Amino acid sequence: MDSLGYIDNYFKGEFPPEEARQFEKRIQEDAAFAEEVAFYLSAIMAGKEQLEEERKLQFRELYQHNSQTGSNLTVVKRPLVRRMVTRLSAAAMVAAFVFGLFVVFTASSPQQLADRYIKEKLETLPVNMSPMDSIQNGSRLYNEGKFGEALQEFAEIIKANPADYTAIKHAGIASLRLQDYDRALDYFRKLESFSTLHANPAVFYQALTLMKRNQAGDAEKAKQLLHRVEDKDLDRKQDAQDLLKKM
Amino acid sequence: MPIPNSSQETDQEIILHLRQNGIDRRRSEDALFNRYAYFVREGMTKHSISEDDAFNAYSDSVLAAIDRIISGTFQGRSSLKTYLYQIFHNKCVDLLRKKATNKHSVYRTESISNMLLHITDNARSVVQKLVDQADWRQLRERLNQLNDDCRKMLLLWADNYSDKEIAGVLEYKTADVVKTSRLRCLEKLKRLYKN
Repeated sequence: MDSLGYIDNYFKGEFPPEEARQFEKRIQEDAAFAEEVAFYLSAIMAGKEQLEEERKLQFRELYQHNSQTGSNLTVVKRPLVRRMVTRLSAAAMVAAFVFGLFVVFTASSPQQLADRYIKEKLETLPVNMSPMDSIQNGSRLYNEGKFGEALQEFAEIIKANPADYTAIKHAGIASLRLQDYDRALDYFRKLESFSTLHANPAVFYQALTLMKRNQAGDAEKAKQLLHRVEDKDLDRKQDAQDLLKKM
Repeated sequence: MPIPNSSQETDQEIILHLRQNGIDRRRSEDALFNRYAYFVREGMTKHSISEDDAFNAYSDSVLAAIDRIISGTFQGRSSLKTYLYQIFHNKCVDLLRKKATNKHSVYRTESISNMLLHITDNARSVVQKLVDQADWRQLRERLNQLNDDCRKMLLLWADNYSDKEIAGVLEYKTADVVKTSRLRCLEKLKRLYKN
């Protein structure tokens, strides 16, 4: 026990520098002592692994319990007061933003509005630091303005995994930038079928594509879709309301 | 089983409670797990993996996030949701690339390297080599063969509880008494393991 106590004191940082150096020297010169240090650390790691396994079992019970009540399927909402404060703040900011835009711009055509939105919000796709991810590669190509190559990359991902909704969304956006509106609409309709997503911008993007295409009847259809986003509280609701005010 | 009310806690409150040992930490771990449990469904849809695989990836992600929050590696530059989702996404991708086969040995090597951070290179490599040779399955079996008090004490110690905190949880009089008992338990574990 003496040597375990001695090792314990070292790892709790209780040694002055000279004694710590002696400790480290002994590890190199005394094989039995090195074994003792290794045991001490292995015991900690074995304990950590045991704890991790027990925690996972508890998480599984929690998950199974929540599955029965359906609460694993939904996003947990914050309390009403906090949500109201956030929404009111967001609404105030949007109101100020809309007023600013109103002052700067007079009424615009749906196509101009779509162009402005694309320039402001779809100029780049998010990327992170994982170089091996194909989505990231596609997004980087998109951000370099290589929309055709980006679309090819996203299409390959979808071919390998038809359920990759991020690739489907990005393929739709790349098609929109390539002015291949029919293809963009196909991708966004496919995206809409992912009903379990907690944030799905598919309906809003369909409206945006129709505004940009601007064929006969497109503006009216786009308006209907934007109203749907607003009424059903779908993703990009604020953007939809903003566009509706100007159409 | 009661469901912790995760909606009442902000990110800051969860982080604060996770960094404290005791019952608040356990509640916040459950709260964090519950709050983003819907990632499991998203993982199944996005990566076409089974519910079991998505659950394992998610619970591993929660445990990794908790570990990094406690150690201070998570610095709060992003929201907990973004941070957890990034870990979860990477774990799902690893799963698809079948790179997660030797997860535990990687985790061990990382954790032990952290503990040996201040030791000189030569001493560190000697210990690291010996730790890598340990029979982990047997060591955990022996740990579970200890009497309940010893087992609990060593698990709390492995979970970074100080002797003072262990004294509070297990109702010992002082931290010194805990230290003496803990080292005795460690000695028992060693005897069981070596024999």
